[in-house]
Amino acid sequence: MQGFLLGLANGTTCLAFCAPALIPFLMHEGQTVRQNLVMVLKFLGGRMGGYLIFGLLAWATGSLLSSVAGYEGLLIGIAYVGLAAVLLVAVLRKKAPAGSCAFEGARATLNRWPALLPVGMGFLAGLKICPPLLLAFTGAASTGTLIGSLVFFLAFFLGTSVYFIPIPFLGVFRRVSALQIVGKFAAVIVSLYYLGAGILLLAGGVL
Amino acid sequence: MTTSVRTEARSSGMAVWKAVLLMLPAALLSSLTWLGNLMGGEIDPLIVVALVASWLGFTVLFVLMLTTGKTYRYRSIMFILTAIALPLDFIPYMLETYGSMMLSEDVMFNGGASFCPLTMPMIIVPALVKGVVIFPGEILPGMAKGAFSVMFILWVGASLSVGRGWCSWGCFYGGWDELFSRLRKKPLIKHRQIDSRWRYLPFAVLLAIVLLSAITFSPIYCEWLCPFKAVTEFQAPSSALAVIQITIFALLFLGLVVVLPLLTKRRIQCGLFCPFGAMQSFLNKINIFEVRIDLEKCTQCKKCIRECPTFSLDESSLESGKPLMTCTKCAQCVDTCPQGAIAYHIKGTPLKANSIVAKVLFLYPAYILLMFLGAGSVAAALYRILMLVTTGSMLH
Repeated sequence: MQGFLLGLANGTTCLAFCAPALIPFLMHEGQTVRQNLVMVLKFLGGRMGGYLIFGLLAWATGSLLSSVAGYEGLLIGIAYVGLAAVLLVAVLRKKAPAGSCAFEGARATLNRWPALLPVGMGFLAGLKICPPLLLAFTGAASTGTLIGSLVFFLAFFLGTSVYFIPIPFLGVFRRVSALQIVGKFAAVIVSLYYLGAGILLLAGGVL
Repeated sequence: MTTSVRTEARSSGMAVWKAVLLMLPAALLSSLTWLGNLMGGEIDPLIVVALVASWLGFTVLFVLMLTTGKTYRYRSIMFILTAIALPLDFIPYMLETYGSMMLSEDVMFNGGASFCPLTMPMIIVPALVKGVVIFPGEILPGMAKGAFSVMFILWVGASLSVGRGWCSWGCFYGGWDELFSRLRKKPLIKHRQIDSRWRYLPFAVLLAIVLLSAITFSPIYCEWLCPFKAVTEFQAPSSALAVIQITIFALLFLGLVVVLPLLTKRRIQCGLFCPFGAMQSFLNKINIFEVRIDLEKCTQCKKCIRECPTFSLDESSLESGKPLMTCTKCAQCVDTCPQGAIAYHIKGTPLKANSIVAKVLFLYPAYILLMFLGAGSVAAALYRILMLVTTGSMLH
């Protein structure tokens, strides 16, 4: 219950951390409310995977500081670069310029795995360390057992996910093609931001 | 086209005496605003000269705008002057106060950076959600730090009175790309060569910076994307990160404000990048003024589409009789339409209503906005120039 309440209390922050990747992606996809719901569920599934890894880490170490200190920048950097890459791929997948055989091949490969893109994005978004996550990490670490830690993060995940409920309704605007173009451009800008921030973090924590 | 049609189309001005009469309240208001600068302390004759000259200049340009029907031409002069004047006064102020255009991290975090309306889209979400203003700046030198409510009220007032007209009347940066977009007679890159999808980029920049600013609690556009940092202030290159940011500012200024406007004869920064303009497009909905095309007069010559500096007209506009939501009400199409088919219009009134009345009712608040936000900079810049001529330095 503590994890759920913590998630509920901090869910807006979690949503804010995930929204820059999720909203432009959904706008670009231009799907119906139902299809968006599936996408968001996949995203949340991936995010839950990321959270469970944190639950595992919290149990394994039992302490926030000793586990994250020294690797925090590296972990966030990798997550940022990965998120940027997945977001860029998700946008390029649909409307890549034709004409290049190599590119066509790559696109065909990507198109075979579109269902995994939201999951991957969710997973990488889940790995981003934000203030509520650190709070949850501390709470989970204090449970002292693997099951307790995983359940804590699961409850935290459920609490934060409440705020994702309105997102599928973006599908109401799916017929507005302008929104898809805006979503595509915004996804590229956001992914460039994460790419730059990730590279800077990996390069030595300049940011 | 017959000469009579052309003459009719061009004669959208009014009698001089009427224009002067209309001008009087605005002239009085502006004189009070500017004379306020003379109150208290010793009066420098150079300040008096600068204030009177700018007041006269703006007044004459407004009268010309009303009487000649060449709204775009005279607005453009005032708009460009305002944009050039801002750094002419602001950079010497920075040199006097900080010894450089560059701000140290300490000064930045202590609210030394000047507040700018372009931060507005990024500030709103954190202010609503967490009750904090994420820009640690001051609005004007000497004003209370963090007094963003003053700028907020100004912005709301401007949005209500002119809507997206802000971008051609109120913005003290837009004159830069307007200047460069007007330098060449003909574009090297024609408008039809530019993919129309780029028009959506400002909305994408807006969406991205609002979302990213909400999670980082910092004004992302100011930190990474603002071309106008190149002509105002920026963080000192004290780290690799700051060097990267400064390089981006310089490249964006050169690309979006200088080179592309020169090549296309379009306001690329305003039309294809600025997120503040995109936000103003939405606020335009609550503004009563708009530009309309009389489809009965329109001959589909498409001159307006070719001439629009902000990509706000396309074929769909000529079918619907309305420009796109990005229209900045700059008056270029109103002035250039050979048939006089395009005019300012007040929402809710008949299309055939007196267009001169609509024009005057729009120009009045638009001019006051321009004067309020820009004329002070022009007077101050003129004062700096007079100082340079008489003392050899622009600094106190």
